[in-house]
Amino acid sequence: MLSIEALVEGLTTGRLSRRGFLQGAIALGLSMSGAVALLEACTSGTPGTSGADLTFVVWSYGVETIKDNIKKLEAKVSGLHVNFQDFAWTNYHDTMVARFAAKTPTDVCYSSDHWLSEWAAAGWLTPLEQKYPDLNAYTSDYFPYVIQGMTYQGKNYGIPYYADTWAFLYNEDHLKKAGISQPPTTWDELTQQSLQIKSKGIANYPVILLFAQDDPGSIEVWTSMVFSLTDGHLFDESLNPVFNRSGSAAAKTIDWVANALNTSKILDPASLTSQEIPVVKAMESGAHTFTILETYNQAELNKSGSGPFSGQFKMAPMPGDTHNTVGYVRFYAVTDQLTKRDANVVKFGDQFLQYFGGKPDGAISPVVKRWAVENGLGFGWKSLWDDADVRKAFSTWGSPDMLRQNQQLARSKEGLTKYYPSWDVFTRGELQKAYLKQVSTTTALSAMADKWNSLKKG
Amino acid sequence: MAGRESGYAYLTLLPVLLIMAAFSLYPIGYALYLSLHREVLTDPLNNPYVGFQNFSNALHSYYLTSSLVSTAAFMAMAVPSVMIFGLLAALLLNEAFAGARILRVAILLPWAMPAVVSGIVWRWMLNGDYGILNSALFQLGIIHDYIPWLSQPALARVGLAVAHVWREGPLAAIFFLAGLQTISPDLYSAAAVDGAGRVAAFRRITMPLLRPTIVIVLIYETIVAATTFDLVYVMTGGGPADATSLISWYAYAEVFKFLDLGTGAALAFLIALVLLAVIILYLRVLRSEERR
Amino acid sequence: MLVFILGPILWMLDSSFQGETELLTRPSHLLPQQPTIANFNYIFTGAVPQGLNVRGTLRSRISQEAREVPAALENSAIIALTVALVNVALGALAAYTFARLKFRGKSLVFNFLLGTRLLPAIAVAIPYYAIVSALGLLDSYLGLILVYLTFSLPFTIWFLRDYIISLPIDIEEAAQIDGCSRLQLLLRIVLPLAAPGLAAAGAFAFMSSYNEFLFALLLTQTISSQTLPVILSSVATNPDASLALIATSVVLAMVPPLLFAIAFQRFLTRGLVAALGKG
Repeated sequence: MLSIEALVEGLTTGRLSRRGFLQGAIALGLSMSGAVALLEACTSGTPGTSGADLTFVVWSYGVETIKDNIKKLEAKVSGLHVNFQDFAWTNYHDTMVARFAAKTPTDVCYSSDHWLSEWAAAGWLTPLEQKYPDLNAYTSDYFPYVIQGMTYQGKNYGIPYYADTWAFLYNEDHLKKAGISQPPTTWDELTQQSLQIKSKGIANYPVILLFAQDDPGSIEVWTSMVFSLTDGHLFDESLNPVFNRSGSAAAKTIDWVANALNTSKILDPASLTSQEIPVVKAMESGAHTFTILETYNQAELNKSGSGPFSGQFKMAPMPGDTHNTVGYVRFYAVTDQLTKRDANVVKFGDQFLQYFGGKPDGAISPVVKRWAVENGLGFGWKSLWDDADVRKAFSTWGSPDMLRQNQQLARSKEGLTKYYPSWDVFTRGELQKAYLKQVSTTTALSAMADKWNSLKKG
Repeated sequence: MAGRESGYAYLTLLPVLLIMAAFSLYPIGYALYLSLHREVLTDPLNNPYVGFQNFSNALHSYYLTSSLVSTAAFMAMAVPSVMIFGLLAALLLNEAFAGARILRVAILLPWAMPAVVSGIVWRWMLNGDYGILNSALFQLGIIHDYIPWLSQPALARVGLAVAHVWREGPLAAIFFLAGLQTISPDLYSAAAVDGAGRVAAFRRITMPLLRPTIVIVLIYETIVAATTFDLVYVMTGGGPADATSLISWYAYAEVFKFLDLGTGAALAFLIALVLLAVIILYLRVLRSEERR
Repeated sequence: MLVFILGPILWMLDSSFQGETELLTRPSHLLPQQPTIANFNYIFTGAVPQGLNVRGTLRSRISQEAREVPAALENSAIIALTVALVNVALGALAAYTFARLKFRGKSLVFNFLLGTRLLPAIAVAIPYYAIVSALGLLDSYLGLILVYLTFSLPFTIWFLRDYIISLPIDIEEAAQIDGCSRLQLLLRIVLPLAAPGLAAAGAFAFMSSYNEFLFALLLTQTISSQTLPVILSSVATNPDASLALIATSVVLAMVPPLLFAIAFQRFLTRGLVAALGKG
C-alpha cells in the first residue's frame, strides 16, 4: 500500500529512484484527485431541482402573502412543489444576473420592464409563445404601458404580476393647516406651497423623494417628473437622446430638484439615500407633505394605524404641464431553463402562471385580485376595473376616479432597450451629482447622453 | 545532503504548490484573455479580440477619475486613522491597569467579525431617522436635528472611514502591541536614569524600534483600504452621488451592473499593477529600514 | 475606548430585543422598554412576529433569507474549520521545509507563494469564478475551501516558517544524529514545540475565511453553501426586511466570531509577538 511516509522514506534514504518517485507521485496524485472527486460528489452542487420542483424567485415584497398563494396552488395541483426564494428589491438585478450567469436553477422569476430587454437579449428569458402561447391571448386586455413593458423584439415575455403608476401624493392635513385649499398643479406652485408650509413650521422639509441610488424606483420618479412637463421626452423615436438639448424637460426637472435641495431647502437631503420604505415611513410620521410614490403606497399610507395622519393622504395629478407620469409593469417571466425541462414540468409552469397572473378557471386570477384588494397593488388588466370588490377596496384608501385618471396619463418609460439597465445605473449617479450641484445640469446630461450613445454603439 | 533532501522538500511542497499554481497562474492567464476580448454578458456570442480597447475604455472611463479620487480621499482618512488608533490603543494596552486584560480581549472583537457586520452596524447607528448616534448627539444638545450622515457625500465618506477604523484598528493595535512587547523594558529604565521624559523616551526609543512594525502595518492597511469592498456594499452602495464608489466597487459595478467583463478584467489588471508598484515601493523602504 | 469598541456590539444586542415600533422611536431607547424575542423566534421557527401586523403595514416586513442565518452559520463554520485544519497541516509541512531544509529553488518558490498574495481580490474575482465554475464547484463547500486555501496558505507558511526558525535547533539535530527522518522530526518533535504557533496560524486562517465576503458572494448562489457574511449582508440591505429582524440576524452572526476571538486571543497575540520578534 502506498503511503506518503513510505514514499518519503524511500526518497530520503536514496532507495527510491527518480523514476520510482515519479510513479509514486502520479499514483498519489491520482488517488488524491479521486478523493477530490469523491469529496466533490458529496459536497458540491445545490440539492438540485428534483422531479416537479418549480423554482420561483421574487423580491421581498409581501412574502407571507406569496407563500400563502403558493400553498393554495400546491393544494390545487397535485405533484407541484414550488421552491420559493426572495431577495432584496434593491439588489434584485445584480442577484439575478449572477444567478443566470451561474445557471442556478430558476424557472419563473419576477422581472421589471427596466430589465426585460437586457435579460431577453442575454437569452435568459424566453418569449411566452415558445411554450405558453395561450398565455399570450390576454394581451388585448392589458394597458398600453403594460404591453410595452413586457415586449421585446415584438414578442411578449410575461404576464403581469402587477402594474401601476407613479403618483403625486400629499398630506391633506398639512395643507389645511397651512391654509392651502388645492394641491399644486405646477412645480412652481409646489415650491411656493412648500415654502409656506416650511415657514409655518408644519414640516421642515415639505418634500421628500425616492432618490436612493440603489432603488430602481428612483429613475422612475425622475422620469415621471420629466414626463409631466411639455416636451416631456427623454428619447426620440430613433432612441436618440433629447434630454441633453438645452431647455429640455429633463434639464428643467434637474434644476428644480437642485434648487429645492440647495436653495429653497424644501427637499429633504435624506432623499438621496431614501428607498421606498423610508420614504413611506417618513410620510406616515408626518415629517413631510409631498412626495412621489407608487400608487399602492397611498393604500399603505392611509391604512388605519399607519400613523397620526392615516387617511389624510390624497393623490393629485403630477404637477406640470401635461400631468403625464410613468406607468410600469412588474411581471412573471419564464426562464430559458424552464423551457428546456421535461414536459410535465413545463405543464406545471403553465398552471403556475395561469394561477398567479392568468385566467385559471376562466376568470382573472384570484392572486391578482388579492394583491389589488389587500395591498392596493395596481393591475395590468383593464377589465379588472369593472370588479366591484376591487373598486370598493380602492375607495377605502383612494379615489378610483383619480386612480383611473392617473392611469390614462401614464406612459411607459422611454429607452427600454438592452442597455437601459446599464444606462439607468449610470444615470442615477449622475443625477445625484447634479442635484448636489457637484456638476452642472448640462454636464450631467451630456455625460448621460455620452453613456447612452456609447452603449448604443456597442 | 542537499540533494537527498530535495526529494522530501519538493514532495512536502507539492500539494501547496498545486493549489497555488492552479489558482494563480490560470486566473492571471484567463483574466488577460478576458481583458483582451470583448465580453459583454448581454451579447454572449460576440467576442472578438479587441486588443487594448478594454484597457483604454477603463482608463478613459468617466468613472475612473472619480473612483480614484474617492478611493484616495477614503484612504487619506482611513489609513492614518487606523495607524493612530492602533498606536494609541497599543500604548494604552501596554500599560498595566485594572481592566487591561478585559480590554485586550475586547479589542479583538471588532476585527473578529466580518467586515460586513461593521458596515451594517455603523449604517444602522448613523441612520438619519433612528440612528443612535443622532439620538445621542441630539439628547446632548449638540445638534438640533437628526443628520442624515450617509446622504451627504463628504459625511458618507467619513462614515465609511469610521466603520473601517472600527474594524481594522484593532488589528493594528494588536500588531503594535506585539511590537511594543518586544522592546526590552531595560531600555526605558536606562533612559529614565539618563533623565529622559516620557515623550523623549517615546521619540527616541519606541518609535525607532517600532519602525519595522509600523511599515508592515502600513503596507497591509494601505492594501486593505485600497481594496475595500465589503463596507461599500453594505453601507452605501457606492453613493451618494458616487462619493463612495471606491475603485474596487467600480470594478464590481463594471461586471455586475454594466455586465462588461472585458473592461472589468482590464480594470482589475490595472488596479493590480498599481498596487504591486505601491507594495514594491514600500518593500524598498522596508529593506532600507532594515539595513539601518 | 471601551465604549467605541464594545458600544456597537452591545447596541445590536439591545436592538434585537426591541420590537419594530420601539426601534423607530426618536430619540432611541437605550434599554428595551417592551423586550421581545419575537424576532429570534421568527428566524428559528418561522413564526411571523406580531409586531409587524400591528404597525399598520399592508405587507409583511420579513424576508425568508433571515431564516437562513442558522444554516449560513453552519456553512461558514464548516468551511472555515476545514480551511484552518488544512492550513495547519499543509502549512506546517511546507513551513518546516522552508525553515530547515536547503534545496534548489527555495527562495524562488517561497517568493512565488508570497507573491500570489499581492494580487488584490477584485483582480482575480472573475477568473476565480471561471475556474470554480469549470470545475463544477460553484455553490459548493469545496470550491470555497480551495479558494480560501489559496488566500491563507501563503501567510500561514510565512508565519510558521518564522516561528519554526525561532525554535532551538539542537533537539532536532540530536534526533537527526539518532537517525530520525525529516518527517519523523517534524511530526514528533517540531510540531509539539510549535503548538502555540500552529494554534495562532489556524486561528488566523479560520477568521479570515469565516469573514471573507467577496468570493463567498460570487461563488455561492444558494443556501447550500452560502456563508454568513453573504446572507447577513443580503438581509441587512433589504429594505423590505424589518429593522428588528436585521438586528437579530446581526446578533446571531456575531456570536461565533466573538466566542472564537475570546478563546483564541492569547494565542494570537503570543504568536504575533513571536513572529514579529524575529523580523
